[in-house]
Amino acid sequence: MSREGESEAGEGDRVLVAEYALGLLDAGEHAALARRIAAEPALAAELGLWQARLASLDAEFAEVLPPGRTLPAIERRLFGAPAPRSGWWDSLPLWRGLAGAGLVVAMLAVGFNLLQPPRPDPQLLARQLVAALSEQGSDVSVVALFDPATGSLRLTALSGPSVPDRDFELWAIKGSAAPVSMGIIPAMTRSDIRLSPDVLDGFGEGTVLAISLEPRGGSPSGSPTGPIVAKGAATPI
Amino acid sequence: MSSGPPDIARLIARVALRDRRAFRDLYERTSAKLFGVTLRILRDRAEAEEALQEVYVKVWQRADRYVAGGYSPISWLVAVARNHCLDLLRARKPAAADLEAAGEVADSGPTPEQASIDRSERDRIEACLAALEADKADCVRGAYLDGFSYDELATRHGVPLNTMRTWLRRSLIKLRECLSA
Repeated sequence: MSREGESEAGEGDRVLVAEYALGLLDAGEHAALARRIAAEPALAAELGLWQARLASLDAEFAEVLPPGRTLPAIERRLFGAPAPRSGWWDSLPLWRGLAGAGLVVAMLAVGFNLLQPPRPDPQLLARQLVAALSEQGSDVSVVALFDPATGSLRLTALSGPSVPDRDFELWAIKGSAAPVSMGIIPAMTRSDIRLSPDVLDGFGEGTVLAISLEPRGGSPSGSPTGPIVAKGAATPI
Repeated sequence: MSSGPPDIARLIARVALRDRRAFRDLYERTSAKLFGVTLRILRDRAEAEEALQEVYVKVWQRADRYVAGGYSPISWLVAVARNHCLDLLRARKPAAADLEAAGEVADSGPTPEQASIDRSERDRIEACLAALEADKADCVRGAYLDGFSYDELATRHGVPLNTMRTWLRRSLIKLRECLSA
């Protein structure tokens, strides 16, 4: 029927990923390929290429002002009415106040796929983590919030698989100094990290935070030994 | 607050931290673009409005998956909106009867492609689309921008479904070669 004849290796997959990116596959095919993309970094990279290139067509979507009722409807769906203030995290006046006080936020790009099922082979996973990092669009991010009042760092959930016999270790890099360990961070859960005096000294704008994949219990040498899966500089908000 | 409006990436970061005011700002900065997306693909104002609500619910829930420096932030938002609309369209359609015809794909792993995209390179797709025959390029645009299915594209171009599949797949191979040249 409509076959392409002799395809060189990979061409069929490339076409399939292009069809996926364009939205041409039906529900069953789409879901099946989504599972493969989650498991195969080469397909994820191929998808990243199409998404990045096709995104330049986004300019052709004309802007249309939505009706005024839409935002209140969204806020009702998300927050109910009236919005409860559950703790300091959601307090807007606090946010404004803290922003003036030099709060620091770091974006950390974490290079692995959220949908990755746990794998038995840590070597394989480590390679996937690195592969996914160099590729756009499919990464997970962690946001870190530094609260100078308490000297602690609050991380949004580091979503992703826990790697057998490996831990994620967080590092602070100040200027050209050697990375200082901030400890092991858990996957899949928000966490608070109290900074040691060592780390606190000089911590602030421009400090780079990095997450590396280390043997269980953290780097044996006191310096990062595994691949860096995420990195970002602290900037004031 | 800081001088000048915060950029969209920064707003997304603050939304990831559950800052509702940032969410509102983000909505005000980007909702016209995203409504343009849902309206163009769904072609029904009521559905497009409903979809827009669902899209911003997803944005609130998924903001911490946005990676600064990858996608441009507005492209990430457009992708959330576009994917949501395509999910709606797919859910509406029964599975195509001639799936087998569509399913012939090689299963061997392709070589990983270096997908680091320089911003200046991104305009290349325009040039590569221009290198295709005009009606083939229209099909690619129609799929991406209007969410047209193979069926709809075949009808619009007055060709049988399988002809459309063959056309478009060949065009995608050419496009891919041009994009990575």
